[in-house]
Amino acid sequence: MPFFSRIYRFFAPRRRLLYGLTLTLLLGGAIALTSVHLTEDIGAMLPDDGSQAATDFHLLQQAPFVSRIVIQLQGEAGSDLSAAADQLAAQLTPPLFSRVLSGPGSQAGQALLPVLEGAQPALFTSADAASLAKLDAAAVRQRLESGYARLLTPEGLAFKDLLRSDPLDLRQFGLAKLRQVSLVPNARLRDGHFASADGSSLLLVAETPIPLTDSRGGAALLRHFATAAATLPAGVTATLVSGHRYTLANADAIKRDLAVVLSLSSLAVLAIYLVFLRSWQGLFVFLVPAAILLVASGAVALLYAEVFAVTLGFGGVLLGIADEYAMHVYFACRQSPRDRGEILGEVAGPVIFGACATLASFAVMLVSVLPGQRQLAIYAMIGIAAALLLSLVVLPHLVRPAPTVAGEAPASVPLGYGGRWPRRWVIGVWAAILMVSAVFAVDLRFNGELRAMSLVPDELRRDEARLSQVWGDIRGKAMIVCEGADLDSALAANERLYATLVAQLPATEVVSLAPLLPAAATQAANQQRWVAFWQGEAGRTTLAQLAGEGRRLGFAPAAFAPFRERLLAPAVVTPETLHQGGLGAVLDALLVPTPKGIRLLTLVPDTAAVRALFSGAGAPTDGHLVSQARFGEIVGAAIKKDFSRYLVLTMVVVLVLVIAVFRDMKKILLTLVPVVTGLLVMFGVMGLCGIPFNLFNIVATVLIIGLCVDYGIFMVCKVSGESDGTADRSVLVSGLTTLAGFGVLILARHPAMHSIGVTVMLGIGAAIPAALLVIPALYRGEEP
Amino acid sequence: MMKRCPWLVPLLLLLPFTAGAAESAAVDAVLARLEREAAKVTTLSSDFVQEKHLAMFAEVMTSKGRFAYARPDRLRWELLEPVATGFVLKGKEGRRWNDRSGRSEAFDLQREPMLKVIAEQLLAWTRADFPKLRQEYRISVVTEAPVVLRLQPLAEGGPIGHLLIAFAADASHVTRVEIHDRDGDFTRLTFVNTVVNPELPAATF
Repeated sequence: MPFFSRIYRFFAPRRRLLYGLTLTLLLGGAIALTSVHLTEDIGAMLPDDGSQAATDFHLLQQAPFVSRIVIQLQGEAGSDLSAAADQLAAQLTPPLFSRVLSGPGSQAGQALLPVLEGAQPALFTSADAASLAKLDAAAVRQRLESGYARLLTPEGLAFKDLLRSDPLDLRQFGLAKLRQVSLVPNARLRDGHFASADGSSLLLVAETPIPLTDSRGGAALLRHFATAAATLPAGVTATLVSGHRYTLANADAIKRDLAVVLSLSSLAVLAIYLVFLRSWQGLFVFLVPAAILLVASGAVALLYAEVFAVTLGFGGVLLGIADEYAMHVYFACRQSPRDRGEILGEVAGPVIFGACATLASFAVMLVSVLPGQRQLAIYAMIGIAAALLLSLVVLPHLVRPAPTVAGEAPASVPLGYGGRWPRRWVIGVWAAILMVSAVFAVDLRFNGELRAMSLVPDELRRDEARLSQVWGDIRGKAMIVCEGADLDSALAANERLYATLVAQLPATEVVSLAPLLPAAATQAANQQRWVAFWQGEAGRTTLAQLAGEGRRLGFAPAAFAPFRERLLAPAVVTPETLHQGGLGAVLDALLVPTPKGIRLLTLVPDTAAVRALFSGAGAPTDGHLVSQARFGEIVGAAIKKDFSRYLVLTMVVVLVLVIAVFRDMKKILLTLVPVVTGLLVMFGVMGLCGIPFNLFNIVATVLIIGLCVDYGIFMVCKVSGESDGTADRSVLVSGLTTLAGFGVLILARHPAMHSIGVTVMLGIGAAIPAALLVIPALYRGEEP
Repeated sequence: MMKRCPWLVPLLLLLPFTAGAAESAAVDAVLARLEREAAKVTTLSSDFVQEKHLAMFAEVMTSKGRFAYARPDRLRWELLEPVATGFVLKGKEGRRWNDRSGRSEAFDLQREPMLKVIAEQLLAWTRADFPKLRQEYRISVVTEAPVVLRLQPLAEGGPIGHLLIAFAADASHVTRVEIHDRDGDFTRLTFVNTVVNPELPAATF
């Protein structure tokens, strides 16, 4: 006697025990679920195979304008933007905003120049020495005359000390190095604020403790900003750009989509149940997916310390397909007044084979490099196993045969399906569709970009473009990371990297601390060079010229004593020195202490040329390139490889399973008809319509393979007489509920959800008629 | 004596305050008079001689120039000898030039913090804007006829030790400004040929 028949007979006199056990299982799932620790960690979708993707992602968060919030203030002519910026900055307060910077402050220049002067010996490069050696008598005279004239102006009062300590205007060397740390290339200083070249915009940079992936925190952050921005004077507008806006736009789109999709799909599923099940007992079929949701969620809560939100979200949707086993058992039990145990003996085979095929589809996801996918696989497999048990063990006790009129046979299959259509027509149309699909499938394009999977509202795209236009590409720069166990080793590596970069790229495109903060050995060498210059012939000549020209212009002999004193003064530049000079914001952005030491960041344009420089054998070894474009490529490639691998594996495993089940070439080929039809039509239509095949299409394709094989197994068992005659009805109804549940995702605005909808609508939409019409037609054709 | 006249103690303690109050009232009266007279000035033009007594120069640096003002916020300050340089200001925008370098450029005060401070000071003195000046200086009266004011910066650590500003007998305009640096250097500006409320050509600013 078949196993499930024995199980049925065992529980038939002990139904209370069975229901008790079932309720205990569900209650256990519910209790376990209360302890679940959900995380929105993006790590769920980052490869953890030791590749650079996860490391790069965390490093990208440290890029100065990626993790921070950028606010642009724009004002009409005549508006006081500086006051508006100060007002806004004062209102962006903790806990949502931890720090707001609108510029270095109006006193920044006064602190900076003395620091640059004091640091000059330690920063005196050989290029500086060569340039200084060219200073002739005429140049010395010109600089002194210029200083003399400036002394006469009202500014002279503040300029006097500067002229005494730097009569030759040597601070230009320091100012040139300062340009190398300009994080916002197009910014000018105005009233101590970062201003655009035309003065119509100001830039504020804010920090927040809210993670970029936290949609709820992001919403609170944006509300706080909107409230503060609403109080700005008339004619002044503020625009915020940060990763939070992307997260929120996607979360909002998904919420809106779910509201539409769930309403429509619930109505559609209800209509399907009303049309095809026509009994309150159909409610039990409806309850199976809900029950296994509880079991699977509780199980992962017990198995994992942290459950990815994406697992519960996407997994919950996936388990919506689990009603097909219950549907199959339901129809078999409703259609026949025979003994349940006997009926179970017939339907258990196809149901178990189908479930095994689906389990195998999900099992191959266990080899994924994405931790979220592996967790999803476990979740789905537990859910499928639970669905199988509930359908074969519990459901038969709950579903009673449909009432029959005396003398009539039980209600037969309402549609003749395959048997009622002209065989040649069915096969002809099917073959034509396959051929046309195959022709257009060649045009299918693959889009592995992660960006294609997220929604970017037009308004946000415009804001980003405007920001780039005014300030340059501040958010899209690539970053090169140098690390050292201590500050000096990091600085040394950073210096070597800088030398390599400026040999390949225009220096103006490289933002680096290296020229302003060299390693100790370099500073010592610079200092020696400085002293050697002034003690050498060129230096002595310059000093003589200074004295002579000074006398000529009426300067007192001791006028430049502070300059002469600093020629021999020792100088050391440290991060503290630069902090004193008002460069704290730059240091905070480019020098990051880590538990392992010091990390220094260099910013470069995220161009193909830069990426090429860091690929191949000759790539610089002192720094690691972290580029948003390259990160997208790495993760996209990893996911593509991963998904492609388990797409192939799924097909292989499913094929092996089908071969093992039927061991008959005809039946094996017939079982594969819905899969092949579904996939080919899907590829063909997507190729014809120019819809690229993306990462989410691959995920959905795995699902389609699992489902379509189930349809094939059910139908082949039916046409070969190995199971009851209700298989086509359960295939039709479960197929329709899948279309209702997933297919309506085609209406979603979010690209990922829309992609799943397209795949399911096309794949399942083609597989259902293939299973119901083509398999019987082909099978009949093979009968003698 | 204190034992005999204990009531003297609080009186003596109050003495500095009453003296301070009296002095403050006198200063207020002088400043109020200056403000009244300045309010009558809509335009002003003057030549000036600037003497810089700086330790870094062997001799006094003397230069000559011209100054013009139009209410509310227009200024022209230019040196004619020994170098031709200067600036004009209209509100927050202006233009500056230097004949030696041949450069002439427009500027925005918001992007020139140093020039902004200077322009604000020049305008405050010319307009006798004492509420503003009192935010930055402690003002005392050196003499009342003609009025000479001493301005001591409230903030410590800046380059300026104190300012002396002398006004014309009728208090309508400034005749002399002395800026004394903390290090002993000082600059003296003597305004001559001053004309109050002249008709100034549009090209002046």
